[in-house]
Amino acid sequence: MSNVTWVRRRRAIGRFWADFRTHRAGVAGLVILAVAVVLALLAPLFIDSSVTNVVSGTGAKMAPPSLDDPLGTDESGRSVLLMIWWGSRTSLLIGFLAALLSMVIGTVLGIAAGHFRGWIGAVILRVTDWFLVLPSLVTALVLAAILGGSTATIIVAIGVTSWPSTARLIRAQTLAVEARPYIERSLALGAGHWHITTRHVLPNVAPLLLASTTLEVASAIVTESTLAFLGVSANKTSWGTMLRGSYDWGAATAGAWWYILVPGLCIVTVVMAFTLCGRALETVLNPRLRTRAHA
Amino acid sequence: MTTAVEELEQTPVRHGLLRYAATKAGGALLSIAMVIVATFFLFRLLPGDPVRALAQGRNMTPEQLDLERARLGLDKSIPEQFLHFVGQTLRFDLGVSYEYKRPVLDLIGERIGSTLLLTGTALVVAVSLGLWQGARAGWKPGSKFDKVSTAISLVLWSVPTFWLGLLLLMVFAAGIGPIPGIFPTRGSSSVDKPDGFAGVLDVAQHMVLPCLTLVAVVYAQYLLVMRSSVIDEVGQDYITTARAKGLRDDDIRRKHAVPNALLPTVTLVFMRIGFVVGGAVTVEAIFSWPGLGQLFYEAIRVPDFTLMQGTFLLITVSVILMNTLADVVYHLLDPRVRSA
Amino acid sequence: MRKLLAVLAALCVLAAVPGTAMAADPAPKKVIKIGVTQAVDSMNPFLAVRLVTGSIQRMIYGFLTVPDSKTLQPSPDLAESWTTSPDGLTWTFKIRQAKWSDGQPITADDAAWTFNKMMTDDAAKTGNGPAVENFASVTANGQELTIKLKAPQASMLDNPVPIMPKHVWEKVKDIGKYDAEVYPTVGSGPYVAVEHKKDQFVRLEANPDYWRGRPKIDELQIIFYDNPAASIVGLKKGDIDLIGRLNPSDFESLKGDDNIVQWNTQGRRATYLQVNHGATTSDNKPIGDGHPALKDPKVRTALHYAIDKQKLVDEVQGGLAKPADGSIIPPLYKDFFWEASGAEKITFDLAKANKILDDAGYKKGADGVRTMPDGSRKLQFRFSIHTDAPVEDKLAEYLTGWFKEVGITLTTKRLDSSKFTEETGTTALFDIAISGWSVNPDPEEVLGTHLCSRRPTASGDGGGTESFYCDPTYESLYLEQQKELDRGKRAETIKKMEERLYTDAPVIALYYPNDLEGYRKDRIAGITPIPEDKGLLYGGSGYWPFYTLEAVSKDGASADGGGSSTGVIAGIAAGVVVLALAGFFVLRRRSGAADERE
Repeated sequence: MSNVTWVRRRRAIGRFWADFRTHRAGVAGLVILAVAVVLALLAPLFIDSSVTNVVSGTGAKMAPPSLDDPLGTDESGRSVLLMIWWGSRTSLLIGFLAALLSMVIGTVLGIAAGHFRGWIGAVILRVTDWFLVLPSLVTALVLAAILGGSTATIIVAIGVTSWPSTARLIRAQTLAVEARPYIERSLALGAGHWHITTRHVLPNVAPLLLASTTLEVASAIVTESTLAFLGVSANKTSWGTMLRGSYDWGAATAGAWWYILVPGLCIVTVVMAFTLCGRALETVLNPRLRTRAHA
Repeated sequence: MTTAVEELEQTPVRHGLLRYAATKAGGALLSIAMVIVATFFLFRLLPGDPVRALAQGRNMTPEQLDLERARLGLDKSIPEQFLHFVGQTLRFDLGVSYEYKRPVLDLIGERIGSTLLLTGTALVVAVSLGLWQGARAGWKPGSKFDKVSTAISLVLWSVPTFWLGLLLLMVFAAGIGPIPGIFPTRGSSSVDKPDGFAGVLDVAQHMVLPCLTLVAVVYAQYLLVMRSSVIDEVGQDYITTARAKGLRDDDIRRKHAVPNALLPTVTLVFMRIGFVVGGAVTVEAIFSWPGLGQLFYEAIRVPDFTLMQGTFLLITVSVILMNTLADVVYHLLDPRVRSA
Repeated sequence: MRKLLAVLAALCVLAAVPGTAMAADPAPKKVIKIGVTQAVDSMNPFLAVRLVTGSIQRMIYGFLTVPDSKTLQPSPDLAESWTTSPDGLTWTFKIRQAKWSDGQPITADDAAWTFNKMMTDDAAKTGNGPAVENFASVTANGQELTIKLKAPQASMLDNPVPIMPKHVWEKVKDIGKYDAEVYPTVGSGPYVAVEHKKDQFVRLEANPDYWRGRPKIDELQIIFYDNPAASIVGLKKGDIDLIGRLNPSDFESLKGDDNIVQWNTQGRRATYLQVNHGATTSDNKPIGDGHPALKDPKVRTALHYAIDKQKLVDEVQGGLAKPADGSIIPPLYKDFFWEASGAEKITFDLAKANKILDDAGYKKGADGVRTMPDGSRKLQFRFSIHTDAPVEDKLAEYLTGWFKEVGITLTTKRLDSSKFTEETGTTALFDIAISGWSVNPDPEEVLGTHLCSRRPTASGDGGGTESFYCDPTYESLYLEQQKELDRGKRAETIKKMEERLYTDAPVIALYYPNDLEGYRKDRIAGITPIPEDKGLLYGGSGYWPFYTLEAVSKDGASADGGGSSTGVIAGIAAGVVVLALAGFFVLRRRSGAADERE
């Protein structure tokens, strides 16, 4: 990459950041996200999976918040705080990986649908529209029920059902990019499909992809918790399985509000943070799409 | 009052609409065909012997198992099985549920009414509330109303449906502190539901919490979409022109901006109808609402794969049909599309 | 859109008109509402398999015999008396002179038709098929029913088949597809089903012609909850009056409510571990991938010593269970219950477990894990449990901890229910698995799950084994008890079978979970459990508790009335909100239209 492009890109990033900073909600979301991700990454330095071990719970059962257990305990005397901390790893991991999977499928098919006119594009568009219409939660439930519950299955079930909106977005963007004159110039110079899509289209759709993926992570986290609640879980402590646990163990009727509220509020906070961040990104990167509803 | 001139003008439009509807119907048929094919192969992914999975380890003699295999056509080759499945599905035969020992279609028929009542009401409330609020918010972006609306919808959007439902149940059905639990804990009606108005009230009372949960979650989306559509319209030249002509602001909004913004929004509402269906599964499970969602949840839980397959097919096909209908209606209503 | 809103508004206006015409019955009916967390699968007894449906059947239909409310021994129901031929192959029942709820007389022909239907129509076997497997022929003569058996069967008097009215059911063409949704049902039990709303409720009315006499209440409602948490709320609020089959945490949450009686008695279930001790098929070929060390009874015994059952009861079951010193039959069934004592009794003793393994040549390695005496494999076992079963998860954690102390590694394997059944009942792809069984007053069914013949066939079709057990001693004891018609002698034989299971340890009993229920004493004045001494209410064997239900008598201004008036208020409130919204839109629309006209 030539020096000139490098400088140009760096300037673009600088402009982008200056623009992003003006969106206070977006910045707030980014800060929350950064904190959540750092905490999740650092968790193994302080605790390990033994905090989710039902036997090693030291507190009383369903004890309200106290100095020992700031967020109370669950039905086995495990600290809700520590479980939330450890569980954030599963929730975020599933969220990120499912969004990544969805992004990869969506990008490949979206660019292909936009780049290849004619029947290939038409077929891909048809399939995309078909997936877009499918009730995603119902499909994900069926997939997970058939494949059995594991982290990988849940990620696949969410990823496979959530890519179409990304694909549509990327397709529209691809069409716009390819209409630009320099693409024609490239074509005239003998550039192939691969060159056009990877060198010209992809860099141009990448920023929007970032925004779309950020929003995708948000909905993947919500979907994971819903799947866990409906009994299809990854068998690992996540915020969703904690809520399922509070439901199974009658936390509500036992008055253990901390056991129900804390995981739920964590989901809401992190999902909000992703959403705010994603919306701010969208606004900065594509003013026309300023207020596109996510999902 | 239709004049002859107008009629003349409408004729080609009708032709265009018919052709459009035919194309859309063709597309829908193709989508449905894809659903049927996908369902067939999806349920062939089941690990292990499907008959044993279906029988869930109930004691069956080898003869019984063979009989069952023959009944399900599993003793045939995959292509033959596929043709069999397609034939059955086209005859609206969705198989017999293992758990209930009754045709899946009958089970669905008994429950679809409740689901339509719940999702229909929720959709009407969510659409009216979401579109109205979205239009107001989008008309003056950055206003206090806009900020509050957007904040509310972003929070609601981030809340998992089941969690919200459980909280509502615990607060308004169980009662907490000074809040009395005035709403019922389950179902779509009391066992001794009175007749007449009191009966309607009884159902309405049962519907409040599930409906509220469902509305809260989908309404946020509609609000945001409507808001952005209106913002888009506000930037259009014709609005500026209208303002320059001295039309009242409210009039411009009501007669120009909102109707134009409404169309893409309504399409999106229908595109996303599957989302409402997904919400219905969780809401029905929490409030023991005797509908399709609960049946599907039961099928997942047992698991009863015939029932799962049947409900999945029906739900997806109806969502596709709904979309196609919305497309055609959209085409009928949108002057821009029509004249194009 | 506008039209829709107008219609909506109109509806709401109508709905908001106070519905004062609320039904106020002159004589309030005595109604008891039972909450259940399982929906009815089928109202056709030939097809239904769910527990809730079984309970409802018991209230609607008569059986040949029922367990006695005090002793749980077989006692007369539709069969007044019975005799057996000396070879035990011919049973003659005298059917009671009584009437079906539609006034037709009950005859032996009804019973004969019911059994013959099941013997000849495969579709009719779904519900209770195994009950007629041993029947050679069933004939009727007036009120006399004769059943000829293929082999002697002591459990004949615990027949689970409800007797159906022939004159109603013989008209049904395809029994496998009949949903039996015809009300009122024609039956011979204390109640008659009058209404069934799918996934919502079943309404039963007292049968005035019931031969024991009419029940003391007028109506029994079985109300379904998909959400167990909501059912607890429902009980506390008074939406329902009784709920059974509670888990320990829900049971605890009923504490402190003055109107609720917490029912905590011994249950009918045993929870145990199933050990893959060398699984074989019914033609004695090895099957599956069980760990070879588990073939050694010493290893199984060592495992048994390494389990602190009291700790499990306290931590996993919240103290609401009884540690098992016996086998698969819980102490509820006094006649058949066996408990180890003296030297035979195995108590938690890690040192002893270690010693047994040391002596048997399983040496500990540097990592603290033992290996086989020939050094071929480490003692690493899998523990198969169900997904989404928190109790089993906890159990697994504790077992893993204790087994580690004796040099055995246990890893947990979570399986969904169909896979679990396949791997632990047919393909034997497990080492140790969680297991359990709800035992009937006659334990033959559960005893039969450990027979050689129940192992899977060579072609891999399951036979219903719960352990892949095949032991000559157990087998001959089983045949012996099957033939023994003297209850006392039969019980002795059955106890020997339990002892054999205890010492040979193909299964290791952990605990007997208590029966946990709750009911409102401001609604239910009396209910007699079965057995009467510390027995069960819902989920017990027989209709006794529900037949003896007594409602708290109350005057016109009952809690029910209060409930429905808050209902009206809430309904009106809801209506008003919707109305206000709709009105708002209509008004805005109108003003828009008015503007246009200006």
